[in-house]
Formats: sequence, structure tokens, C-alpha cells
Amino acid sequence: MRPALLAFGYALAVAWYAPLLLTRLTAPGVSARLGLAAWSAAMASVLASALVALEFLIRAAVAGWSGLAEAVCRSVAGGACTPAVYRSAIFEFALALAAIAAALAAAVLAWRYGRSVQRVQRRTRAHAEAARITGRRLPGTPSAVVLDAAPRAAYCVPGRPATIVLTSGALAVLDRAQLTAVLAHERAHLAGRHHLLIGLSRGLAASFPAVPLFTRGPAEVARLAEMCADDAAARRSGGPALITALLAMGTGAAVPAAALAATTCAVTARLARLLDPPRPGRRVRYGLALAAVLVLLAALPALAAASAGPFAAHGLLAG
Amino acid sequence: MRGFGDLETVLMEMVWDRDAPVTVRELFEELRHQRDIAYTTVMSTMDNLHRKGWLERAKEGKAYRYTATASREEYSARLMREALAGGGDTEAVLSHFVADMDGEDSEVLRAVVRRLGDRRPG
Repeated sequence: MRPALLAFGYALAVAWYAPLLLTRLTAPGVSARLGLAAWSAAMASVLASALVALEFLIRAAVAGWSGLAEAVCRSVAGGACTPAVYRSAIFEFALALAAIAAALAAAVLAWRYGRSVQRVQRRTRAHAEAARITGRRLPGTPSAVVLDAAPRAAYCVPGRPATIVLTSGALAVLDRAQLTAVLAHERAHLAGRHHLLIGLSRGLAASFPAVPLFTRGPAEVARLAEMCADDAAARRSGGPALITALLAMGTGAAVPAAALAATTCAVTARLARLLDPPRPGRRVRYGLALAAVLVLLAALPALAAASAGPFAAHGLLAG
Repeated sequence: MRGFGDLETVLMEMVWDRDAPVTVRELFEELRHQRDIAYTTVMSTMDNLHRKGWLERAKEGKAYRYTATASREEYSARLMREALAGGGDTEAVLSHFVADMDGEDSEVLRAVVRRLGDRRPG
């Protein structure tokens, strides 16, 4: 029982306290990529250690079935529980039925989750295909198509092949460098498999609505994924092109990149600072802290699994 | 890369560009000048597009005449609705360059742009 409790305790601690720590470490977005890795690792770590704990429980239940029958009987009936009761065929039958029902419920949940993932993937594929047939080619960028539509939109559709969709409304307000920034941003989403991270974290939030780590997860993962993609876009085309692309897409007014350099207004300065590389010292401090958190999150469940024997370690790796 | 999907795109474009219903033969005659292609390839691709709901067809003599089930603009609008719905139904909506902004956000951005405009020389 003890290893199961330890693993569960670890999962609970990470699920409740990791959000506090990670929110503080990732709020400024100093090291977006490490931050994204840390949130993902925390979620994977909780899931893995909960599975390890579950495996311990199941193995204990199978190995000590008679002891389990007695324990369950006592917890329900207390002093009225005698060997005549918990060794009776009816009681054993009821207990087995309850175990089977629990296993079935878990299977149904997993099946429903799988079905919803499949449905999303099917719609995504259909959307990408429709966009490729409906859209016009964007010269020089084989993976991008342009839809004739007034709303300003730019997004990517993962799949084979991955497709970046722009609207004619978006193209109308972007100059060459800004378009490059937008395309680099979307390509970074695709290269980083951000849709998988966001999709998985949304699935966890839907399955475990009371666990803080999982309920906070989707928004934080999405925010950090945007920052990662922004970093990539800024590296590719420069901060001003990216910032003015954001402004142009957000407001619909064309913003020449040169205008940004000539202004000192407060909001723009804030926007610009967001994309300015942070001071090296700050970057190193946040980076080290996040790296330490990452190592801990990865190491603890692995140690627990290893100490529990080869079967559990195998289960952890496979899960 | 000239894949099968690419041909679907080209054929739909040709159908949309014409006002009148079109036969596979007419499309093939036009296409063979542009690329090395077999009549049967055009026919099976048109059949696929019909099966997937992009085209409707009416028998005329021995051949079918094809028309698009919806205009390109209608398809674009449909895709936009899907992409901007934000219900999490497709993975496309997860990656918008600029997410849906509330009124306050876009007002701040508009103010920035107005000032940029004022300060621009000339």
C-alpha cells in the first residue's frame, strides 16, 4: 500500500502546487520554450505517477484478494462483519462485480476520449482539404493558401501536408516583412507540434475538471506556445515586423515597420519590450529555475517506478 | 509536387471559372496542353470530387455535365466560420496569429496605430 500512497501523494502535490510555482516562473515569458516544456512535464509527471499508483493498487488487490474483501467488508459493516459474511459467495460476487464495473467505467471514459480526439482530427483533415481546394496559392510558399474572405485571419492546420491559411483580408494589411513574420509564427506552431500539446492539455482539463494543474494547463500551454512562435518569428524577421504585423492584424490598419522606430508612445514601448530580448542575467536565472523544475518533474516518478520493480517501470515508460 | 490533391484544386478552379456546366472531355482538352495527363485521371478525380460533395452532375447523352455545389466565395465563408468559431472542433482554431480580441484590447491597439500614423513623417 505504501508505494501506491507515495506515488499518489506525489501526483497530488504536483497537481496542486506546480501551478503556483510554474505560473510565477513562466509569467514574464522570459524563456517560453523551457516554460512550455515545464508545464508539459508537470502534466505528464502527474499522469505517470497516478498511473504507477493505480498499478500498485491493482496488483495489491489481485495479490491480496481475501484481505481486500475483509477490508472492504469492515469499512462498510464495521463490527457486524464476520468471516461468514466476507467469505460468502454473494459478498465475493458483489465485490467482483464492483471491480468489473469500475474497470468498465474507466474503459468507457478512455473510449469516449479517443472518439472525441478522432472527431477533431477528422474535422481538421476535412478543413485542411477544403482550404487547399478553395484557396489560391501564395507564390513562393507552397504550404500556404489564401482564402477570399474579408476577416483578417492567419492560422495553420496540422496534418500531412500541414497547411497555413491566410485570408485576403489579412494579406491586404500586411507588407512583405510582416507576412514573413506571420508565416514564421505559424510554421513554428507546426514545427513545435503545439496543437498536440494544446489538444492533450484540453483533454486532461475535460477529464479531470477539479485538478488545478489540469484546469490551468490549456490556457498556460496556449499562451506559452504563442510566445514560442513569436520568438521564432522575431528571430526570422525581426521584432518590428512582428509587432507591426500583430498591430495590423489586430486592427486592420496597415502599419509600416518604420513607423514603430519613430514612436515613443507608452503602449508601443510595452509591446516592443515584450519582444526585446530580456537581459542575459534574468534569462539565465529563469532558465536555470525552469530547468531544475524540469529535472525534478522527470526524475521523481522515474525513481518511484524504478524502485517499484521492472513491471511498474515498464508501465511508466509505455504510458 | 504535383500530387493527386493538387489536381483536385486545379479542376475545381476550372469548374468555378466557367459559368456553364462542364464535361470531363472539355476539362481534359484544356488540361492536356498544360500538363502530361490521362483522360481517366481527370475522370476519376472529377468522380472523387463529386463523391466528396464538391460537384454535382447531370447526365447528358453518354457523359456527365458537372457544376460546383457552391461558389468559391461560399466555401471560403464556410471555412472562415469554422476557423473563427473557436469551439475547439478543429485543431485549426488553436493557432490563430491574433486570437479573438475583446473590445478593450482592440481599442488599445487602434490607439497605438493612430499615434503611429500621426508621427509618421510626411
